[in-house]
Amino acid sequence: MRSGSCTAARSVFRRAAPRDPPVAAFRVALLPLDIRAHLLVRYFTHSLGAQLRSGGSLYLLTVFGVALGVASVLSIQIVNYNALAAFEGTVRAVSGEAEISVFGKTPAFPERHYAEVLSVDGVAAAWPLYRVDVALADRDRFYLEVLGVDFFTPMRIPWRGDPDDVSAALAGDGWSAVTPALAARFGWAVGDTFEVHSGVRRVRLRVGAMVDFQELSPLASRKLVVMDIAQAQALMGRRGELHQIDVRTARGTDAEGVRRRLQDRLGPGMRVVTPGQRSEQAEGLLSAFRLNLSAMSLISLFVGLFLVYSSTQAGLIRRRMEFGLLRSLGATRTQVLALILGEVALLGALGVVLGLPLGYWAADANLEVVSATLTNLYLLEEISSLALPRWLYGLGAAIGMGGALAGALAPALDMSRRDTRALLSAVPLQERTESLVFRLFAAGAGILAATGLWYLGWGREWKHAGFVLCVALLIGLPLCAPFAIRQVCGRVRVRGFGPGYSLRGLSVRIRTASFAVASLAIAVSMLVGITLMIGSFRRTMEVWVNASIRADVYISPASWRGRGTAGTLEDELVEALASHPGVAAVDRLRGFPAWSGDRQIGLAGVDMQLPGGEVRFPLLDGNVDEAFRRVREDGAVLVGETLARGVNKWTGDEIAIAGPEGEVRFSVAGVYYDYHTGGGAVVMDLTTLEAFIGPGPVNGAALYLKSGWDGNAVVESLEARFSEAPLQIRSNRRLRDEVFRIFDQTFLVTRVLQGMSLLIAVCGIMLMLLVLVREQVTELALYRAVGARRGQVFGVFLGQGLGFGLLGLGLGLVGAVLLAGVLVFEINRAYFGWTIQVYWPWGPVLQQVAAILGAALLASLYPAMRASRTPAAELGRDDLMA
Amino acid sequence: MKVQIDTTPALSFDSVSRAYDAGSGLRYALRDVSFDVEPGRRVAVVGRSGSGKSTLLHLAAGIDVPTEGVVRVRQRDLSALSEEARTMVRRDEIGLIFQFFYLMPHLPVAENVALPAMIAGEKPRTYRPRVRELLERVELADRALDPVQKLSGGEQQRVAICRALLRRPGLLLADEPTGNLDDENGRRVMNLMMDLVENEGATLVYVTHSREFASLADEVWELHSGKIGLPPRRSA
Repeated sequence: MRSGSCTAARSVFRRAAPRDPPVAAFRVALLPLDIRAHLLVRYFTHSLGAQLRSGGSLYLLTVFGVALGVASVLSIQIVNYNALAAFEGTVRAVSGEAEISVFGKTPAFPERHYAEVLSVDGVAAAWPLYRVDVALADRDRFYLEVLGVDFFTPMRIPWRGDPDDVSAALAGDGWSAVTPALAARFGWAVGDTFEVHSGVRRVRLRVGAMVDFQELSPLASRKLVVMDIAQAQALMGRRGELHQIDVRTARGTDAEGVRRRLQDRLGPGMRVVTPGQRSEQAEGLLSAFRLNLSAMSLISLFVGLFLVYSSTQAGLIRRRMEFGLLRSLGATRTQVLALILGEVALLGALGVVLGLPLGYWAADANLEVVSATLTNLYLLEEISSLALPRWLYGLGAAIGMGGALAGALAPALDMSRRDTRALLSAVPLQERTESLVFRLFAAGAGILAATGLWYLGWGREWKHAGFVLCVALLIGLPLCAPFAIRQVCGRVRVRGFGPGYSLRGLSVRIRTASFAVASLAIAVSMLVGITLMIGSFRRTMEVWVNASIRADVYISPASWRGRGTAGTLEDELVEALASHPGVAAVDRLRGFPAWSGDRQIGLAGVDMQLPGGEVRFPLLDGNVDEAFRRVREDGAVLVGETLARGVNKWTGDEIAIAGPEGEVRFSVAGVYYDYHTGGGAVVMDLTTLEAFIGPGPVNGAALYLKSGWDGNAVVESLEARFSEAPLQIRSNRRLRDEVFRIFDQTFLVTRVLQGMSLLIAVCGIMLMLLVLVREQVTELALYRAVGARRGQVFGVFLGQGLGFGLLGLGLGLVGAVLLAGVLVFEINRAYFGWTIQVYWPWGPVLQQVAAILGAALLASLYPAMRASRTPAAELGRDDLMA
Repeated sequence: MKVQIDTTPALSFDSVSRAYDAGSGLRYALRDVSFDVEPGRRVAVVGRSGSGKSTLLHLAAGIDVPTEGVVRVRQRDLSALSEEARTMVRRDEIGLIFQFFYLMPHLPVAENVALPAMIAGEKPRTYRPRVRELLERVELADRALDPVQKLSGGEQQRVAICRALLRRPGLLLADEPTGNLDDENGRRVMNLMMDLVENEGATLVYVTHSREFASLADEVWELHSGKIGLPPRRSA
């Protein structure tokens, strides 16, 4: 170490005794403890300033590591919080005054239940709601939710300004109230009109007033449109049907008691829930989605901790003599530890300050993607704006500070406990870790083996076992890094001053190399493991889509989102579509949400008589011929894998589904591969569905064309012929493309997290190489002294960076295969109920391998440049690193 | 047959000064030093700490450049060369021995000796016989594959001497080669170094604190406050 590293120590001593530092040092050593503590605080401020000036880049990296870790976790927590908050916000805005809400277990329920609700003891007020999704005309998939309300009930409606005369709302000319945000987006004012599509109907609405639900709940949906309930039913749905009844209980009554009485009165075909229970249901629906994102963000944080560790270690190595000097002057181990951790805490705080806005920005940047996932896959409210509650600030601060201190604790403890002579001597710092190499490996391998055995023996049955396996991998893999480095680099034969020489050099820098390799290995495991999983999933989906999307043309109302009853095709329209000369056969789909026990599922009826239609539902369990015969002839059902795994119902079992007349038990004829999110699905023949729910229009039609007819041409001719009807007419190819667009969109956030982890790991490589430059200054100077050119030293260092990359990649690929196995065979099955076939997406994996090595090489450029500039004159005889 | 003897100085300093900015003015580590070292001579440089001994060696090796004057290695003006060119001179014409040995912990004994050849891009088959020869001469041939950490201090310095001599440099510069050894080991290393230098026909300039070891040289120069005491200027 050169004299510069003791600048801060000297500056304090100069103040104590400007003319004679050794005397001052002696005096300091004799000072009472409290004065020493005081001096240490003063020293802290001097030291930090001096260190920032001399080694700013290392501190910057600590701050960067903390900031990235905080941003990674915080962005996901913000997204997770707001995903649920958007749902809760809308619930609060619409049903804020209600203590109880009543829903049907079928898509809609008859109005007579309203009178039944009012008759229950303890109900002070109740108001019916008719809720229907409509598509805004001339906008691609821009959906609004129409709320049909009874203006004469006590429902609270947050009018903006003076509402139009309510009597106008009843006039029947499409009077509606929109949110100011929606009006601002489209430039609407009171009196303007706009067109919406509901099923095959085109309805023109008039902006009669503004209704600001954000006043009641800032996160409420901005796409709510309020109408008179009778008008909404008449214009967009069916008279005599309701979707929800909100209830306010009488003052002093027990709400739970009222809820139970309502449930008894309405029977098992209805759901009577509190707002809290509704939130719990939404939370349950999103739990797997949220948990997976949280887990991945924590991996990023974990990699960030490596960066903090590395930068702290690097900083401490530079200052070894300074700490030796402090200890020799009487500073206790605790004081040195406090000094180091104090600095790290300060840097952690800076990281938090940077990480908070970065996290918010990352969440905001991914808002659209997450929002699309929520609406496409979970049919929940989109996130219109982001809220950042105070506890999330606290979480960010705790993660940042805690992470910084946790990352720095090991090197800080190591430095503070080191013998003073060792700190002041020329002994390299690597020795202790090198002797630990085998023990660390044994511990890592032991953890992996023990967890594997636990899983095979007992853990399989536990839903969260997959995460235990992941944690074991995160701990076990880094512990194996030192052993892997020693085994690989120690065996390299040195044939010249080239790549082999670079790798061999790492074998004696195990401590430094281990952290770079381990952090990269974790990032690679995550990056490649998830890529393997997504690649396998995508290929599985391709096979599944090939089997299940077989028709040539698909038609559905523009407003249909898979829920509700309004997005339907009239029978006459389906007949007209089928009359196209190119159509050989027509399949019909009628689908809506239903309930099986406490589980919301998707219920669908299709034409099971369709010749060759069996291939639409590839079976996981059951005999194809027998299963479809029973579905056609016996009224049995096919159950999707997600539901089958969730409720453990397989071929031969019975499954109960709530209908208008109460629960009906259906025999399960087979279980088919299913990749829906949520509670799963049940499919039955259309005739069975009609008998169960009652007759009704279908939601979609699929046309099979005669040989020689082109799907796109038929789409164009149908679009021209039915241009008046707001239909989505899609060719087979377009529908498939949309399926995969949604698929890829769903994993976009995952890709962002993967990228963040890799970025952190690559920073770690750069940092470790900078540490090596520092540690190896004498070695580098010797190369220069014995005639190595700058370019040669540059090459050796670049080789070391590449060595980090290769070792991290090698170890990471092992981890990636294990992680992919856990994700495919355990986590996806346990949380989503999906069977994913394993495929090897070589193309993307090879691209990533090249990107990782390229990134490692790029990260090595600056340290290699620094290394190549080491002058031979560094071989001073007073050099500490000799 | 008439044998032509090369009398070009192996090393010469011509009015060389090296000054550092001490904040309040220049501080001279070496001031107006001139000397020539004839080929094959062995010169010991003695002096107190801070007298400029190491600076002199750094300038001779081209690791540092003078603020005034000219340093020549076999008539080549090091000051006029680029840093890269000085490195090449060091690689091809100078051998360096250090007080702290500076052996590479990740290389076994033989590869530590071979390091300059590796850096020079030589093929293993060209340098291996030379490595074996040198290790035999310092009685470490049987330790060729051992890690250097297993060697004693004296053995490590013998390895470092082999490394310095590997590429048959004309000029060998040694900075306190026995400074980190006990008397007995120091004596053994010095005798070995002198024998090797004589056999190789190299020129040796070494810095030492020890009068005993200095006495082994053909000439002893004393440095005092950056000035040389007995510069035996060779007549042109």
